[in-house]
Amino acid sequence: MSNPYQVLGVSETATDEEIKKAYRDLARKYHPDNYHDNPLADLAQERMKEINAAYEQITKERSGAANQTRGAYNSYGGGYQQYSTYSSSGSSVLQQVRIAINTGDLSRAEALLANYSDHNAEWNFLRGAVCYRRGWMDEAKRYYQTACQMDPTNSEYRQAADFMEHGAQRGYQPNGVPFGTEVCSSSDMCGRLCCAYLLCNGCGGMPIICC
Amino acid sequence: MNYDFTYLAILLSDGNEERSEDSRCYASPVKKKAYSVSNSSMELAADESVILAYWQICDGIMDHRGLKKLKYLGSCTLLKRAYRKASALRPAFDQQVRDQLKILRELEEQNCDSIDRAADAFAGLLSNAAEEIEDPVRRRVLTQMLYHLGRWVYLVDAADDLQEDAKSGNYNPIALRYQLSNGEWTNESRHEFALTLDHSIRMMTTSYELWNFGVWTPILETTLYKGLFQVGKAVLDGTFHRETNRKRRLRNSNE
Repeated sequence: MSNPYQVLGVSETATDEEIKKAYRDLARKYHPDNYHDNPLADLAQERMKEINAAYEQITKERSGAANQTRGAYNSYGGGYQQYSTYSSSGSSVLQQVRIAINTGDLSRAEALLANYSDHNAEWNFLRGAVCYRRGWMDEAKRYYQTACQMDPTNSEYRQAADFMEHGAQRGYQPNGVPFGTEVCSSSDMCGRLCCAYLLCNGCGGMPIICC
Repeated sequence: MNYDFTYLAILLSDGNEERSEDSRCYASPVKKKAYSVSNSSMELAADESVILAYWQICDGIMDHRGLKKLKYLGSCTLLKRAYRKASALRPAFDQQVRDQLKILRELEEQNCDSIDRAADAFAGLLSNAAEEIEDPVRRRVLTQMLYHLGRWVYLVDAADDLQEDAKSGNYNPIALRYQLSNGEWTNESRHEFALTLDHSIRMMTTSYELWNFGVWTPILETTLYKGLFQVGKAVLDGTFHRETNRKRRLRNSNE
């Protein structure tokens, strides 16, 4: 295992409090909520395991092997859950779609959905899930909303639609600065830092300001 | 060298670029300037940037007439030699860029009203730049980052062109998607659009956090967590062009 202090990004002389803070910051960054339906959730989960193991090792070392109770803490671990393979419509085809999404086989999920003629609430929800994983955020939101309208009692559909409305802004943000195009400060914080243009259309196209 | 190349080089590099040397170059033939010593990731970024620029210029030739077309034709001629060399080294990427730009052109011709579908063509083009990366984790991280950077760039660019496209009648996926008249946002459409941009930025930041970008960490962190929001907001507020035009005027008056 790599050096646990390096994993947490602290020096070996860091105080217990500094170590705890570093651990909490990292846990916040890789928290499952930030990787909801994210195609890279498995990588975040791996990182979280490393962080948990590093923190556990340091606390054990510092408290002495004989007194491990001091190292007890509530580690973040699970929560990177995938879709349940249970399909509320009871359709075996739609269950297969859920399995395909969970294994990352989006082409299979799309093919199964394309051949399924009953565009019920579950179908719309799963279509939204495929769109989200492909990065088609606008269509994902619309499919999730349709699923909610067709079955307003389903909490899974409602959560997905709610995530599209508020989820992007709720995630990790360094230093607690608001996350969002509509809420960002256009002057003070960023304005003074902005400096360079990134020309993305080769010949005088779209400039990106970077800070 | 433009900032396209710089950003691509940053993302494709391993973050350990500490070596620099001094030398003269075409841009500074007398005074020696510090330059970063070439490495494989920079070579990859340079080749891919040349291929991207070349095909975008070719696209520009088809899109423009008169003097502007001449400008694109001139740039195309200048880039041709570099393009031939780069495409010989990266034939797969070259083919992917051609294919994606063809898809984009077809979608424009069909007046596609899906912003996701239209942006996907450009986003896919940019994410292909990560395909040659060997490390599987880094490849996944960069593929997702570049996809959403491409999506964001395409959408913000289209938002910035809304009024111009409304006047000229040019294709604009955002105007079609939200059924905007005269390229004017409604409060609801503006909010919806900002949300979709935020989701792409969230995808970029969550990818970014899964790889160590070494010396590039501060510039990437600021760009992803602040700069993109600020540009997006300025474009939505209609102040972006005003600011850039003002800066251009200031620059010209200083020269």
